[in-house]
Amino acid sequence: MAIWGGVAFALSLAMMPLGLGALQEDEQLGKVTYDRWCSECHGVDGDGTGSAAGYMLPRPRDFTLAMYNIRTTASGDLPTDQDLLRAINMGAPGTAMPAWDDVLTEAEKQALVQYLKTFSRFFPLDENPVPLVLGSPTGVSEEVIAEGRGQYEAIECWKCHGDQGRGDGESAATLMDDTGFPIAAADLTENWFFNGGADVEDIYRALRTGLDGSPMPNFSDVLNAGVMTDEELWAVAHYVRSLAPEDTPGISEVVLAKLLTEGAELATSFDDQAWEEIEGTYIPLVGQIIVKPRWFDPRVDGVWVKAMHNGDDISVLVSWSDPNNSPDPLWSDWKSQVTRIMEPREAADNEIDAAPDQLVVQFPMQMPEGMERPYFLKGDSRRPVYLWEWKSDRQTALEGEARGVGTESFQDEGQDVSVKGMHSDGQWQVVFTRPLLTSDENDLDFITGEAIPMSFFAWDGDNGESGNQGSLSSWYFLLLEEPTSTKVYVAPPIAMLIAGALGFFIVRRVQKREMESFRS
Amino acid sequence: MRKHFSGPLGKSVVILGVAYLLLEFGIAYIPPLFGVDSGPIPDSVLLQYMVTVAIGILLWVSFNETLWEEFKAPLHAAMVEPRQRRTRVALIVLVPVLVGLMTFNSVRPSIAAPPSLRSIHPAPPGQIDFQGRSMELAGVENPLRSVGSPEEHYLEGRRVYYQNCLPCHGDGLAGRGHYAQGFNPGPASFQDVGTIAQLTESYVFWRVAKGGPGLPNEGAPWNSAMPAWEDFLTEDEIWSVILFMYEQAGHEPRTWEEEGEEH
Ligand code: HEC
Ligand code: HEC
Repeated sequence: MAIWGGVAFALSLAMMPLGLGALQEDEQLGKVTYDRWCSECHGVDGDGTGSAAGYMLPRPRDFTLAMYNIRTTASGDLPTDQDLLRAINMGAPGTAMPAWDDVLTEAEKQALVQYLKTFSRFFPLDENPVPLVLGSPTGVSEEVIAEGRGQYEAIECWKCHGDQGRGDGESAATLMDDTGFPIAAADLTENWFFNGGADVEDIYRALRTGLDGSPMPNFSDVLNAGVMTDEELWAVAHYVRSLAPEDTPGISEVVLAKLLTEGAELATSFDDQAWEEIEGTYIPLVGQIIVKPRWFDPRVDGVWVKAMHNGDDISVLVSWSDPNNSPDPLWSDWKSQVTRIMEPREAADNEIDAAPDQLVVQFPMQMPEGMERPYFLKGDSRRPVYLWEWKSDRQTALEGEARGVGTESFQDEGQDVSVKGMHSDGQWQVVFTRPLLTSDENDLDFITGEAIPMSFFAWDGDNGESGNQGSLSSWYFLLLEEPTSTKVYVAPPIAMLIAGALGFFIVRRVQKREMESFRS
Repeated sequence: MRKHFSGPLGKSVVILGVAYLLLEFGIAYIPPLFGVDSGPIPDSVLLQYMVTVAIGILLWVSFNETLWEEFKAPLHAAMVEPRQRRTRVALIVLVPVLVGLMTFNSVRPSIAAPPSLRSIHPAPPGQIDFQGRSMELAGVENPLRSVGSPEEHYLEGRRVYYQNCLPCHGDGLAGRGHYAQGFNPGPASFQDVGTIAQLTESYVFWRVAKGGPGLPNEGAPWNSAMPAWEDFLTEDEIWSVILFMYEQAGHEPRTWEEEGEEH
């Protein structure tokens, strides 16, 4: 089948008057590539209103404003060609803007860079903007990080990003980008979602240039005014980098519930020292976009999980970033804006009432036979799921069950699971505790040494989330550590002994027979 | 050295070794070189295959008397020849050590997720129930290819794709949308030669309309995040997005003639 874009391109080339420069050819390739791959988001006219624009936040950039987040030029200046090329290659992590590095050819990308500029009358054709001189990173040490922390407080990053950097500062609820859409202050503990890159150089560049079009200011002015030295600004960048894990968490399918040594106390609260011994497992969550009403602007993009047990009881600690404890009147404006602007409108209007933050941990109701499991979205009629539900406006956890979306039911009596939750510094920490075995036949028994399917659902009430509109994960596994069984020490030597004896015996038999046949 | 591998015993050992390497590593790492997704096979399946190979070898060497004798000769020699004392001792030590290691491997505690096998393209039903009415699938072509303007269908399909499919399957149609990391198994890549390029459009229609929950058991319906799009899209919208996918990824759908030849 013909590629219509290609046909259009060929036709337009054929129709072009002879003798026109390469620029126009580029523009044709730029237009064809743009219409094919970019226009459904950024709009055919580059004004950020493609048909899919309502299904994402932040919205696709409006190129007519010539306002670019990630640049190497001073705040207010246009980006260099190199900057635009970088944006196309790397995309903007944490947003819907994809990375195009291995999808498009070099010629197509170059053509796109030129084409993007034609959307705005701000771009002069003949001069390339001048990048800032950014220098190279200073060394990093405990003192540098402490210095950075001091500056972080002094120049008031916390007002937007919060004391611990989780995007929960006092102005966070009121931030808007230049086109009037609500925008979250970046969660500095998740550097893998930074639009401009995760490294300390990327952070420093963001500080020097600001993210034009967003409320994120630039701090070059502070340097120029002599309020702060370049070293101090690098220290801020090192501090910000230190808020996120050393390495971007990989995805591991299994959460190991550590077996406590004899006499050690099971942690039943989030502030228990014992948690520090256990490494957290990161589980990414994404918007629920599988059944109606869908949700394309999830707040909770991942949870950290730790677990321990002592042979009688199990505790599971789940923590995640959420700027506030919903419902909170400070955020009601944010909430009504988000619910107003997000497409598609599949929810009934009454679902924008005040809503708490919530977490549901899901297990199969019975351990599955073989590889079969309940449908990961709340089970199905043949294979029900068993649920733990926590809500920020209630002190207790509920146990429940479901046989498909919308069939959740929770028990009010005989609760075997207890919960402690706390919100501080833009983070929820919720600990569930339950006996491994219960007398209730609708509760899953936690058997040690078996990989138990487990998944998560989370809601930020003040981000307009409730019901089916929230975030979720697919199935992961919870594995309760077993005491190392004596089998591990005994079986291999026995097997070796048997094999050795057998070998010896066979060789002797054969040798004996050989001798006999030799003699006779 | 050469002569050790020229007899039937040597050949058997080589065959077993090559089979092991292919099964354990080849299946996981060779297809990706050609852009086809793959992964390691679970140990239990590996064992089954290895036993099959071993039985095959035994059938071959016991096929006639001379071959059998040739096969046994080196074994026999290793057990009785005074000159092969060293080999004998080495075998009596090595074999038990190997057995011990294998036993340890099977009893030591592991924290791996259980294997999950699924058929990526299970056999489609001949007809489906689409939005409450019965719909024939066998032999069906994309009806939009014979009516209206191809460009309009393409644009309509593109809108449907970007509003609905994009978060998972991604702009490049390579299964790398910004929600992809949230799902296991991950979203299909349509750039891959192993997906839509191998399928008829009516097969794709079935997968789109019925989604994960519509898979038969061998497709592991409980894990698939693919929505049942008949709940969101009209029949024309589904056909248009299918048309868009082939066009954008640069693939041709499999025809019913090709499908027929294979059966
Ligand atoms: C899925 C929708 C989508 C598609 C398709 C898309 N973009 Fe974007 N793009 C976005 C979003 C959303 C942003 C805003 C990111 C932000 O605000 O951080 C963006 C931002 C940008 C930016 C600005 C980056 C910056 O530093 O400010 C550029 C340049 C850009 N896109 C170019 C392109 C090009 C070129 C294409 C096609 C090859 C394309 N985009 C395709 C969604 C998309
Ligand atoms: C007025 C509020 C505000 C202040 C003050 C502020 N930021 Fe930001 N910052 C934001 C917003 C909003 C974003 C997200 C922009 C986006 O997503 O496009 C952001 C993004 C960032 C990012 C992510 C950059 C990227 O590539 O995505 C970093 C790092 C950052 N800020 C660090 C800081 C530091 C350090 C300070 C203090 C020196 C600071 N910010 C001060 C609002 C602020």
